[in-house]
Amino acid sequence: MQKTKELSFPVASFEEVFATNSGAIFQSDSEKCWYIDFAGKLARFDYRNLLKLKKAIYNVNIEEKLLSSDKTADVEIIFICACDHSYVLSLLELIKLKELLQGTFVMLDLNHIIYDRLFRVIS
Amino acid sequence: MKDIMRVKCLLSEEVETLINQQIKKEAHSSSIYLSMASWCNRNGYDFSADYFFKQAEEERQHQLKFFKYVLDMGGNAVSPDVTNIKQEYNSFREVFEEALEQEISVTQSIKNIAARCHKEQDYVTLEFLNWFFREQREEEYKARRAVELFDVIGEEGTGRWQIDKHVGQISYDSEA
Ligand SMILES: [Fe+2]
Ligand SMILES: [Fe+2]
Repeated sequence: MQKTKELSFPVASFEEVFATNSGAIFQSDSEKCWYIDFAGKLARFDYRNLLKLKKAIYNVNIEEKLLSSDKTADVEIIFICACDHSYVLSLLELIKLKELLQGTFVMLDLNHIIYDRLFRVIS
Repeated sequence: MKDIMRVKCLLSEEVETLINQQIKKEAHSSSIYLSMASWCNRNGYDFSADYFFKQAEEERQHQLKFFKYVLDMGGNAVSPDVTNIKQEYNSFREVFEEALEQEISVTQSIKNIAARCHKEQDYVTLEFLNWFFREQREEEYKARRAVELFDVIGEEGTGRWQIDKHVGQISYDSEA
């Protein structure tokens, strides 16, 4: 994981957790939050909101939407309670955001395992 | 990079989900017992109605115990929807047979949570679950003894009246 330091704000240090062609998610240790760079904006998510976003995205039945022949708009509105951000996503964007989140949570799990094995156990 | 997820919550996502399902199950049990209390009362089995009122109260306490544990560990406890509660029973005996089935299925689902905890070495939650395993011993004992009264006493004549009287006296006091 690559460290990116902002020159003008030396306090805020971001680390890239996961990135794809369509976006990236960064973690800020000092702020204990994540920044999602996706669909043309950078949005800040704390612990609760990141989990709510994950749940909202994972709960969309993409397969059903792909097979549906409804004439309704092919757009999904992702609204999260008590969170400043919402997303209005096309089906393709939804798939890309899901991919980004899946990768992110795999990396966060991996980071957790590394912490447990390397730093939290007396060897 | 800090392990923020772990700092915020002791429970893994899987264990949290399983406990939330258990919260729903306990809430469901509580409602079933309340419905059984209603049926027994309507049909003149006062002691059994009391027995089920008490059981309903206990299940509510179990639900809250799980609920508070999830919150105490930093997780998200979900207040459950409870639907599809059976309101009518075909016989006095059927009520007790279903009560026993209910307890067996609760024991089984708590065992399922414990199996998951073993898998991920969540000894903290395992230790918490021990209280429930002890409780289930008593719950299944009482439910089984109640069903057995139907064979021991028999339903003929004043049998059901006798059974009802004895239901209130079932108790489990094993120290083992
Ligand atoms: Fe219970
Ligand atoms: Fe019970």
